[in-house]
Amino acid sequence: MFRSGARRDHDSGPAPEALRLVKVTKSYGTADSAVTALDGVTLGLARGTFTAVMGPSGSGKSTLLQCAAGLDRPDSGIVRVDGKELTGGGEAELTKFRRGRIGFVFQQYNLLETLTVAQNTVLPLKLAGRRVDRRRAREVLTAVGLGDRLRHRPGQLSGGQRQRVAIARALVTEPRVIFADEPTGALDTRSAREVLTLLQQTVRVHGRTVVMVTHDPVAASYADSVLFLADGRLAGRMDAPTADAVAERLAHLGDDMTAGV
Amino acid sequence: MFVLALRSIRQRPGRFLATLLSAFLGTAIIMTFNSMHDTAGQPGVDAVSSDTLATSAGVVGGYGTLLVFFAVASTLTVNVRQRAAELELLRCSGATPAQIKRMVVGEAVAVALVGAALAIGPAMLGGRVLLEMFQDGGQVARSVEYSFGPIALASGVSITLLAAAGAAFLAVRRVTRRRRERAGARRFLAYGALAAGAAGVCSTFLFSATDEMLMAPAAQGTIMLSVGFALLSPRLLKGLLDRLALSGASGWLAVRNLRQRAAELAGILVSLIMFTAVSTATITMQAVESDAVAASGLVKSVDAKNLETLNLTVVGIVTVFVCVMLVNSLYAATTYRSREFGQQRLAGATPGQVLGVVGAEGAILTVAGVFFGTLAGLAGVVPFTVVRTDGVIPDQFLGTWLAMAAVAAAVTLGTSLFTARRVLRTPAVLAVVQVA
Repeated sequence: MFRSGARRDHDSGPAPEALRLVKVTKSYGTADSAVTALDGVTLGLARGTFTAVMGPSGSGKSTLLQCAAGLDRPDSGIVRVDGKELTGGGEAELTKFRRGRIGFVFQQYNLLETLTVAQNTVLPLKLAGRRVDRRRAREVLTAVGLGDRLRHRPGQLSGGQRQRVAIARALVTEPRVIFADEPTGALDTRSAREVLTLLQQTVRVHGRTVVMVTHDPVAASYADSVLFLADGRLAGRMDAPTADAVAERLAHLGDDMTAGV
Repeated sequence: MFVLALRSIRQRPGRFLATLLSAFLGTAIIMTFNSMHDTAGQPGVDAVSSDTLATSAGVVGGYGTLLVFFAVASTLTVNVRQRAAELELLRCSGATPAQIKRMVVGEAVAVALVGAALAIGPAMLGGRVLLEMFQDGGQVARSVEYSFGPIALASGVSITLLAAAGAAFLAVRRVTRRRRERAGARRFLAYGALAAGAAGVCSTFLFSATDEMLMAPAAQGTIMLSVGFALLSPRLLKGLLDRLALSGASGWLAVRNLRQRAAELAGILVSLIMFTAVSTATITMQAVESDAVAASGLVKSVDAKNLETLNLTVVGIVTVFVCVMLVNSLYAATTYRSREFGQQRLAGATPGQVLGVVGAEGAILTVAGVFFGTLAGLAGVVPFTVVRTDGVIPDQFLGTWLAMAAVAAAVTLGTSLFTARRVLRTPAVLAVVQVA
């Protein structure tokens, strides 16, 4: 994973701001039955930060992640990943934009059942037509604790192990931002802790940027800061969060609304 | 459980369309030809006419039964596999395996009954047309009146119902038993079929060039050989894939997908192999036979004409059925992969790359199916040609083969790519959370 210096010199160099959203709006449905999922969200995340996005169901967390990660296009507003603006285009163009810039970790892992652990890990490189460095893939998998499972298939692994494969897959392309969507939602507490520690390490030790959507205050407490979202708007921010403080704040999120950000 | 079965059909009629279609087509063909038995059984029909009618009914009726069983079994297997989650849910809610079995068999029987009922009208029309064809060819006397009677009705309905119930029973047993493939039995059957096929093909040499039955052992041998290859196809495919290295991300993924899914794809290969073998062999042999008769300056006998009509009918039936089966299983298999496609897209595959994977898989399947089908077909054509004429491979073979291979490729690639394109319209993020 976890090589940072040497490789950096080759590319244009990362922008100081890993992610920037300006007045991003997104609604679903048509005219009269439209639901506003994101209502003018503006935020910026510095490189090398670990941010949790929290909010009740329907607050627009997932939409925010999808718009910021180039999985969906906002109705209006600007999304900039690593200083590069996400512009219009079809799915193929969005995909090409995401390659190399963005890595994903999902609640349901989304590993391909027909591929082994090692093959799953190098799949993004294969698809992007980049050189596949098997030694490095092995390094990354060893670093997430799966060096002895290279030839296993996802079906033979536990949930926690699968999620660690997903993290390895997200890391191997050296993306500018890693988006994690409820990464511990399907895991037991011990596996969840391992996965969260792993995400934390990628930021603290290796300087990557991680954005994690979660509804679990304990998971959020692993982040450097927490952004609260309610009804499609930012509803506050908390630095150096603890699980209790996050839970408390979440419980009173409705009250904060009038006070604004 | 039967009430539940009916309810589940009413909620999702679309899923049963393929089963309905194969039951309908199957019953229509069985009834059409078996009504010749009814027609022949009427008082005052002369011996030659009666003979023609009975032979055609016997041969095509037999084929039809086999095909109905295959087609209904293939559509039901796909149907049951797709509903594995629903059946699991039923099991968790306290349904015993026997109850689930009754439900699935009940559904199948209900659908087959509807298919059979719908087929009666078209079968009566088809039978009339068939009789006129025989009369125009001088094979049946003009005086014979068409009759659609108890034999046609009973055989059509009972065969379809039996096939549906049997196929559903086997399909659900495979699911509820939680895959314990009896590889031994399968291999035994496969080698048995291959041995029988080889024996049939070789026995062609025992006949003389002008024997009317000359085509029969070769044709039957071809069919048995293709059944044998089809049963072995998962292993053959695996062997092929282990030696195959495709460049590019799409090809790389396609080979790995197929390697893992070889067993599931057997159904598609069965259709492809049978189609290529039976259609190529029959059409080629018929062409060789016709040319040979023309060259000798003889006029075709009634029997020879019957045989020609039958051959072409059989090819027509096989083609239609195999196309239905192919389209159905490919459509279902591809729709079912929506989630997998979503995962590929989230891992960085463009829609074009996903289509590339599907296309490469389809191409590999087509090549494998056509290859083994050609092998089985040639095994029938060559002995026949050697005995009937002086050549080894007839001139007509290449053209026929090309046409049939083109149809196979068009159906396979067309269905999978068309379905995949539709599936890709769902955004990737939604596709991975949807239960197919």
